[in-house]
Amino acid sequence: MQTRFHKRVEFAALLLTLIAGGFWHPALAADSSPGVTLNVSKANPRQVEPLTESAILRDYKFAWGSLGAALQSNSLAPLNGPFVGEAASHLAAEVKTQQQNDLTLRYANQRHKLEAVFYSPEGDIAELHDTAEYDFEILAGGKSIHSEHAVVHYIVLMTPGADRWVIRHLQAVPQF
Amino acid sequence: MSSSTSTAWKGHKLILALALGLLGSFALAQDVTLQVPAGLIAGNAATIGTNGSGSATFYLVGPAASIKREVELGREISLAAKDLQAAGRYVAVVCSSNCTSQVFFVAPGKPVDLSFIVHPSRAPVAENEAISGVALTFDEFRNLVVTPSTVQFQWSTKGSNPMSRSSQTREGIAWFRTSSGKTAGPLQISAAIGNDVSTRRVVQQVASIPCNLRIKGQRTAKGILVETEPIRDCSGNPVPDGTVVTFTARDGAKMSTVDAPVKQDVARATILAKGPVTISAASGVAMGNELRLSGKE
Repeated sequence: MQTRFHKRVEFAALLLTLIAGGFWHPALAADSSPGVTLNVSKANPRQVEPLTESAILRDYKFAWGSLGAALQSNSLAPLNGPFVGEAASHLAAEVKTQQQNDLTLRYANQRHKLEAVFYSPEGDIAELHDTAEYDFEILAGGKSIHSEHAVVHYIVLMTPGADRWVIRHLQAVPQF
Repeated sequence: MSSSTSTAWKGHKLILALALGLLGSFALAQDVTLQVPAGLIAGNAATIGTNGSGSATFYLVGPAASIKREVELGREISLAAKDLQAAGRYVAVVCSSNCTSQVFFVAPGKPVDLSFIVHPSRAPVAENEAISGVALTFDEFRNLVVTPSTVQFQWSTKGSNPMSRSSQTREGIAWFRTSSGKTAGPLQISAAIGNDVSTRRVVQQVASIPCNLRIKGQRTAKGILVETEPIRDCSGNPVPDGTVVTFTARDGAKMSTVDAPVKQDVARATILAKGPVTISAASGVAMGNELRLSGKE
């Protein structure tokens, strides 16, 4: 025969299970800060200076954090700064059409393996390969309609701005 | 039938119903498949094949836009050329009772545009690898064309034969580096793909630092007027106006200096000295001859 104490323990366990089950979402458990590693050993014709390397790493990480925030919240504000040119206009158009269609995108658990493949003689353009890995989810009206663990290859053009390196071009390709 | 057997039977029926429901929904989910296009080029219309029947909602999430549309299953979904202008990764999703998705890629089109960045805008003559240029190839929708193309770089100055170099793009980028010529003046640099796509930049080649300095001087009522002979760089180009020449006069233990800018190839200065004086001139790393003048007559 169950005692009153046992019943209370069972009830508490059930309550905890329900709370955990009801409120848990992969995005809540996700690491929100993108992980980025950068290899500059193959950059040519100019070697990437250590300060430039750390600036690119910092600004690329920030840019992907901003991209994720913009496409999840359908807000243009996070895109101001880290993106310019085609990258900025593409992402802005993406946000606007998502707003129209009540769509949001989630990029969780981002890991980026970045490799510099070109650094111009004057140090004003860098081309990078990014092998990005993340949990990607599309939500329509708040309901998940697509989710995958994606491995995506990006060709990235970055240029130095006034106070940071900015992404000018971000283009996914099937392979490098 | 006892009450316990009846309860167990009800439980089995419930499990069976749930299993059938799950199987049914699984079967429905398996019903819809998408045939996404392969080898798509940016700016071209395409269709996505579907099977099944009934209405569904179609979503397309691409690099520069998303689409939502009601579609009929079993019919092809048409994508307009403007929906596929951005190269990159697209996710097509169809939702009826369940959602089915497929990923496909759109590749850039032919290169029709070049971004051409040349440094510096002014370069001293006869300097090794002083000028460099980077060309990036884009299609008509400003997608980076990553397939190799041949870029022809050409540079020429007035009255000289043009020089050219071909370079294959590597993931959309071709570049060159060259030394500046020996004659001051505009250097025309162009980058071209075939005969249709071309862009031009100009680098102003300017005289380098002075090579030799020769000075002469004479006493006047106001002092000693010293001036240089026309100043040229080592390639014989007159140095630009404003180049500073420093004249130094030594009068025993006293030393005085005067900075004078070059004006029409020559720098001039008046030095106030009455006794015997030795005057020299320097500009950059070039030193001039020494001029010795005796005391005031």
